[in-house]
Amino acid sequence: MKKAYKILPVYTGDVSGFASALYELGGMLVIHDPSGCNSTYNTHDEVRWYKQEALIYISGLNDIDAITGNDDKFIRDIVRAAEDMKPKFIALANSPLPYLNGTDFKGISKIVEDKTGLPCFYVQTNAMHDYTKGASEAFLAFAKKMLKPANEKIKGGINILGSTPLDHTNTKFVIPEGKTIVSNWAYGTSLENVLKAPQAEMNLVVSSTGLEVARYMKEAFGIPYELMGNYLDVKRERSRCYIVGETVISGFIASEIKNRYGRDFNVIATTEITDGLLSECDRKCHGEDEIRDALSDAEIIIGDPMFELISPKSAKFIRLPHFAMSGRLFRKEIPDLMRLEDYYHEP
Amino acid sequence: MPTSSEDRVRIADAQFPKPFEGGLEFNAPAHGTWNIVHIGFKIPKAHQIYICADNCMRGVVMTAAEMGELNRFSSVILEEDDMVFAGRLEESTIEGVTDVLKSLPECPPVVIVFPVCVHKFMGCDIDYIYDELSKRFPDVKFVRGFMDPVMQKRGTTPDQRLRKAMFDIIPDGEKDGSVTVMGCDMPLSKDNDIRKLLEAQGVTVRDEAACGTLEDYYDLGKCSSVICSYPAGVLGTAAFCKRIGRPMVYMPFTFSYDEIDDALSQIGVVPVFNGRASSDRAVAGLKTLLGDTEIALDYTAVPRPMSLARFLISNGFNLKRIYLDAIDPDEVNDFNWLVSNAPDLMLCATMHVKGRRPVRHEGDEKILAIGQKAAWFEGTEYFVNMIEGGGLYGYAGIKAFIKLMEDAFIVPKNTEDIIPRKGLGCCCVL
Repeated sequence: MKKAYKILPVYTGDVSGFASALYELGGMLVIHDPSGCNSTYNTHDEVRWYKQEALIYISGLNDIDAITGNDDKFIRDIVRAAEDMKPKFIALANSPLPYLNGTDFKGISKIVEDKTGLPCFYVQTNAMHDYTKGASEAFLAFAKKMLKPANEKIKGGINILGSTPLDHTNTKFVIPEGKTIVSNWAYGTSLENVLKAPQAEMNLVVSSTGLEVARYMKEAFGIPYELMGNYLDVKRERSRCYIVGETVISGFIASEIKNRYGRDFNVIATTEITDGLLSECDRKCHGEDEIRDALSDAEIIIGDPMFELISPKSAKFIRLPHFAMSGRLFRKEIPDLMRLEDYYHEP
Repeated sequence: MPTSSEDRVRIADAQFPKPFEGGLEFNAPAHGTWNIVHIGFKIPKAHQIYICADNCMRGVVMTAAEMGELNRFSSVILEEDDMVFAGRLEESTIEGVTDVLKSLPECPPVVIVFPVCVHKFMGCDIDYIYDELSKRFPDVKFVRGFMDPVMQKRGTTPDQRLRKAMFDIIPDGEKDGSVTVMGCDMPLSKDNDIRKLLEAQGVTVRDEAACGTLEDYYDLGKCSSVICSYPAGVLGTAAFCKRIGRPMVYMPFTFSYDEIDDALSQIGVVPVFNGRASSDRAVAGLKTLLGDTEIALDYTAVPRPMSLARFLISNGFNLKRIYLDAIDPDEVNDFNWLVSNAPDLMLCATMHVKGRRPVRHEGDEKILAIGQKAAWFEGTEYFVNMIEGGGLYGYAGIKAFIKLMEDAFIVPKNTEDIIPRKGLGCCCVL
């Protein structure tokens, strides 16, 4: 059954993805949720919570307010918190109950904006998707609300799109010689930094969470984008060597291995955003049973150690911990993805 | 007295039992308290199955993973289509649980199924779900868990109801003269007068928090009387006692000598040593060590924070702040005593939005915190790392607690490493 997970954890959820994407940008992020989303996020999905300040809150929704659709309390609490904490903007996220009762977040955003004088926008989540969806929506909603066309371009300037601690440990990405990084969306960054994005000449998408905002910036500001390592340009053949995980990063690693060692790895994309990001030999899988089936004939598997639980014993398993899958369990083992030699040794 | 819209209030100005206005909520990075996953695993061999959306699932499945218990945990993921079609939620839940149980190497004897807020909100027929599951798996005892935090502001919390559901499967055994202690997640410490004194009288004490096997768990029902030692366990323990016809005594870890003596006499024991004098000597030693050191405590450390505060203030300690969001109504007397005798004592909210920027002490002096949340808000590495009273009780408990305060004052801890870990006392593979 697609929906049953017998032993595998689920990926970080969309609400956590939303919070992770906007963490460093000085906004106040409000999840309309009874309880739990905030604790889950800051315990399992966020490495910065202990030391680095971010204004991320839940609404503490109760049953009566949910049933009666009492948005006034939600609005009042947001406005009061904004007066106390002085954020640069306000972003709202949804969860299952407000999703079910059709809460009008766009309307609420408008009212909050009027009452606080701060930019306020809604990020479409409902807690029923993985982090790639939530982070992608967050980057897109932020860009639409906050970015203005640039008067001048920075020659050779690049934006890094889709960098969060859920996928990356390192904020230093390899870029072509002569290029400079204009902004990083959004790890090791700031509001001032990301607002410079329209000055860049090119966008570099480093995870699937950055794809939608890259498309938006192409349309709105004429900035073209590339996928990390232009991995789709590297031709790979079908094989029984698999790399399991986030779409763009897996594709990038597969292309690096092909370039360096000539070995074909096929991507088994287990996160949600895959459109236009897979080669012919790759596939998308959803749910524990599908992933188990896809791995059943594997000779070599690269993936988070949790996937070893559903991998055939005959396969050689190369551990590549992914924070959005195994959380804190193997955090100290997570390598710099840019340094293939640190985690892949050709068998 | 109105509730405070600020994040801290003098106790003399505080409304009882809810000092603070509700609003957006912050969550401090201190996670030693137990959640429903930790609690559920107290039933040996029980398998837990949660039926919820991705984002809600993440917290519970990673709790199990960090406990090294993924082989006793499974999930059924709810998606949009489960919410749209009539009957789909029941079907997804039943078929998902069935699929999970059929795929396990052997069917567990006890399965805790956790529907969520959405099941309630959609008017899901919960009875039908459990009836159908019981028909399909007649050898399994199904425990009715619930993960519905949307209900907790106005009624009982999911963990209170879970404890009750867990006790509901304990059979009414033949009375054997033993005493069962239940309701708390911390096993009885060796420094617990309930255990020490009852065992000294030859009475067998069974501890719900320390059952090694499922048989041990079921044997909790063989007792002749029951002690509940933690507020969140009262609902379940009272129902259990009513069902099997046993008397219940409520004995949370208190710092009041009179309460201790009263409670011990209720369970038929008399202290065999001079507890008060012994405790007073320990207090004097601690006072010499701490002097005027500032102290802060939080509600997660002990079940009776007001009682502890009164004890510290009345013994001349420099208690400055108590971190809590509400006060147990049972603590009204201690609260009123503090209002009269320590009116400037500050109550500080842990969930207020301003908690994100805690007002930390500036200076070189040590601050001693009691509890993980107090440690984080105060920014100190000198803290007593305890939840739920640590299994302590009585004069032995107070002396052990004082020793922990002394140790905490002398030896710094790695706060950043310790307090984000979940479920203090549970196995943790981090």
